[in-house]
Amino acid sequence: MARSAGAAPDRDRMLSMYRTMLTIRRTEELLVKLYAAGRIYGGVHTYIGEEAVATGVCANLRITDLVFSTHRGHGHALAKGMPPRELIPEVLGKVTGCSGGRGGSMHLFKPEIGFMGSSGIVGPSITLAAGSAYAAKLLKMDRVSVAFFGDGATNNGSFHEGINLAAAWELPAVFVCENNLYATEVPYATVTRNVDVASRAQGYGLPGISVDGNDVMGVHKAAGEAVRRARSGEGPTLIACNTYRTRAHSEGMRDAGYRAAEEIAHWKDRDPIKALEGRLLAGAATQADLEAVDAEVKALVEEASAFALSSQMPDPSTVTRYVYSEG
Amino acid sequence: MAFEVVLPRLGWNMEEGTLTGWRKKDGETVRAGEVLFEVESDKAVQEVEALENGVLRIPADSPAPGTTIPVGTVIAYLVQPGEQVPPRKSGLAAHVAPTLAPSAPVSAAPMAAAGPPEGSAPDVQTVPRHAQERSGRKHRAISPRARRVAAELGVEWSRLRGSGSSGRIVERDVRQAAAAEIAVEGGSRMSSGVRASAPATLTTEADASELVRLRNHFTSSRTPVVPSYTDIMMKAAAFALQEHPGLNARFEQGSFVRWATVNIGIAVDTERGLVVPVVHGVQSKTLVEIARETADLIGRAHSGLLRPEELDGGTFSITDLGMYEVDAFTPIINRPECAVLGLGRIVARQVVVDAEAGNVAIRPMVALSLTFDPGLADAAPAARLLQTIKQCVETPYLWLAGR
Amino acid sequence: MREMTFVDAAREGLAEEMARDPSIFVVGEGIGVRGGNFNTTVGLFDLYGPERLRDTPISERGFTAMCIGAAAGGARPVVDFMFIDFLTDAFGDMFNQMSKLQWMSGGRIKMPIVVRGCVGVAPSNAAHHSGNYYPFFMHVPGFRVVMPSTPADAKGLLKTSIRSDDPVLFLEHKSVLTLKGPVPEGEHLVPFGKASVAREGRDVTVVGIAFMVRRALEAAEELSREGISVEVIDPRTLAPLDIDTVLASVRKTGRLLIVDEDFAPCGAASEIAMQVMERGFDDLDAPVKRVNGLFCPAPYSPSLGEHIVPTTTAISQALRDLLAE
Repeated sequence: MARSAGAAPDRDRMLSMYRTMLTIRRTEELLVKLYAAGRIYGGVHTYIGEEAVATGVCANLRITDLVFSTHRGHGHALAKGMPPRELIPEVLGKVTGCSGGRGGSMHLFKPEIGFMGSSGIVGPSITLAAGSAYAAKLLKMDRVSVAFFGDGATNNGSFHEGINLAAAWELPAVFVCENNLYATEVPYATVTRNVDVASRAQGYGLPGISVDGNDVMGVHKAAGEAVRRARSGEGPTLIACNTYRTRAHSEGMRDAGYRAAEEIAHWKDRDPIKALEGRLLAGAATQADLEAVDAEVKALVEEASAFALSSQMPDPSTVTRYVYSEG
Repeated sequence: MAFEVVLPRLGWNMEEGTLTGWRKKDGETVRAGEVLFEVESDKAVQEVEALENGVLRIPADSPAPGTTIPVGTVIAYLVQPGEQVPPRKSGLAAHVAPTLAPSAPVSAAPMAAAGPPEGSAPDVQTVPRHAQERSGRKHRAISPRARRVAAELGVEWSRLRGSGSSGRIVERDVRQAAAAEIAVEGGSRMSSGVRASAPATLTTEADASELVRLRNHFTSSRTPVVPSYTDIMMKAAAFALQEHPGLNARFEQGSFVRWATVNIGIAVDTERGLVVPVVHGVQSKTLVEIARETADLIGRAHSGLLRPEELDGGTFSITDLGMYEVDAFTPIINRPECAVLGLGRIVARQVVVDAEAGNVAIRPMVALSLTFDPGLADAAPAARLLQTIKQCVETPYLWLAGR
Repeated sequence: MREMTFVDAAREGLAEEMARDPSIFVVGEGIGVRGGNFNTTVGLFDLYGPERLRDTPISERGFTAMCIGAAAGGARPVVDFMFIDFLTDAFGDMFNQMSKLQWMSGGRIKMPIVVRGCVGVAPSNAAHHSGNYYPFFMHVPGFRVVMPSTPADAKGLLKTSIRSDDPVLFLEHKSVLTLKGPVPEGEHLVPFGKASVAREGRDVTVVGIAFMVRRALEAAEELSREGISVEVIDPRTLAPLDIDTVLASVRKTGRLLIVDEDFAPCGAASEIAMQVMERGFDDLDAPVKRVNGLFCPAPYSPSLGEHIVPTTTAISQALRDLLAE
């Protein structure tokens, strides 16, 4: 295998992102099984199929940069650096989870690494990220704030008000739209006249880019530029990533009636992990290398699962703590 | 290890479902993602994919298609080449998480027996209590405060007429009842216009051994409040005045009015002169309560911070001159009260304890003097009152036991 | 002691806090160069400029949620919403994010945000400029609700609100903005959860909310001429609520009237009454009484609006009725 000198940093980055995407994939597959076995309460919205977006964006971020996530937030959390060992117990409602069992899938928190919460409400990730960007600018911190949101959020008032403020005040923010064509189960095209999300940016006066959300290298490049702009004071960017979730909106929900089997099959063929595998195998890694990574990831996820299953539930007497600041 | 194929939860509140049919056969090789079986729940039939690769093994005791089974029931296994199917029977997978917020009970029998689920909303059909009372109330209404004050003052409220709205008995009604007139006995002396007569004083001497012992108990044990001799004498006097209520009175608007509650004033000598703050309802208060109250009143008497109502309403007073080494004296009635008890000092004296045997002993003795208004009572009733007070000094258990 | 208006006293408090902590910034419509519709920020733009006195577009949801993010991100924002009727657009994010982020993150995300502005029915302001809504924030875990009625309390409580690490609703009744009163020199902080006895009395207790404190004091003065001694309590903060001061007063007087211009159902008066019933039942000589505003939106015409909120006369009569109970 020939490797040019310039390929080495690319290779490391590609392998790192491959590992991240696999970590997301294997974690989500485990959660699907646990959900089916009745081990999980409430809703789980898996990120399977969209791994390239979170991975490509977060690979450009520092631990001090902030990410505001969505209800489909496991991928963002893992890509930002939350270990499966903290995510899986949280989804199982255990005290060892990242939110102490208080939040579950939709209220994952780890501010220590800049993960400012997955969310059950669509839209506020945009305005909150604009706000933390405002604080960074005011307090002269070198810090970028990233909002992830879906196509559904683009039609919500938060999108309009948040992006307008960020653009008007040149805030160090990046707005990443994961357009998977459906808001819950409503096709984006049936409720939106202009389905080109990136084109909206022009109306607010900030740059808007469309990328193939299943090409992690492409996402990485676009996000890199957006993060650079934000960090250097040039203001926010809107990145629209075209992608697809190959499972139902939420585990347990039917995935039939609003999506055609052919459409799902078509997107499965464009699996982002397989796509990266193809690129890696074309000169950067062997099949054995890739299987080795997968084996490590699987072991990590298995260990995390066993840890989670054997962890305690939170102490009920703690439930009213932190309603107010404790000084 | 063989992978367990379970009946999945296909909705947030799903507790059970029906396996309608297998799409793969026992022994067939299956790939993850292929449809394995179908489940019917609530409204619709859903296809369930295999989550693993493997050979499908449906145990003989697996629930037959058409059976309704709980979520989490193991219905088959996906085994790898060489793996065995586990010997245990199909059944619930371990630790199936309960659904959220039980609404209607799913399996009727057991839950119905258990009663309403924990945390269910209170029955909003309940008629508010006071509405019920108003409709069917047989007894008079009394405010909570009035009820409390009635207990404090020992007032029997059930026969009172209330001045509150809708006839409710309120605090002022109870207080007035406590000061209610009792028909005054006696003849011409009690006719209106009779002025109070010149007071007379009776004196006796009591063995204060038990009194001293009682007080020493308080000082030596670690009670938070140590009652004074005056405090103890107030309880004794209140007991005695309840035994002899004829002397628990005030001269108001031209006539003697006997009171049901015993309000005792204590004479305090201040820089500004004599001040007599009153403790109300002595008969209902504990010794500790009285001690606290007198400490507070005496303190404020010295600093001039007593409120008018604290100097008013007395039905009896106690003056203690023991600290000035006075043995006995003629206490002065604190008008408009009608009687007053004077306390001398407690001093060790040699007294005869057995006249026949000629035995004497040293005992702490105290002089008790009762000045009273003869217009209110004759000497004999007054003497009986003093005698009871003396008995209370010598035997505190009398007033401790109460009435 | 020097006398200042409520608005000036609050502004002095804000100015002092902004001087000592550079992470404090204010957002709102017209609070920059113009100094605020209610003069809340006059003079501050010249000192601190547009980054800390940030004029916003008309997008209450957007700029309030933005401030939630800023607080989560280490700053100390003050949202100056002008009329609470406008703030209603932001309620969704206030209930779902502002009040919950601290709890959801187990205390790791702080929410040191003050949301301040005007409430209350004022003559002919009509239905979209007369909102109160504070019971919503008393009801939801996570909020502090502050409602001073004097200039000294306005300053002291605004400073405490800004220094608090909790989200605070600092609500200023329109009718007390120009009220003048003594304000101490030097550092002056008023704690949350400490009611003030605005007037001592012995015969009956009245708790007033915000502007109703002023009317209750007038009623007390009127009744004193009839030989009735009225004790007036100003809770100052509704969350946390100092019920102990109210209970001590009821222990003394036995009768309680609560005057709140906001609507009766589920309001501050019902909460206070319930707590008094729970803990002071045996001290009550009569049922707790409340006088609220009429249960309808605020009208425009003066003839309709005359009795929409409790008048001093109505309060006096309610007190007499309560004493006759």
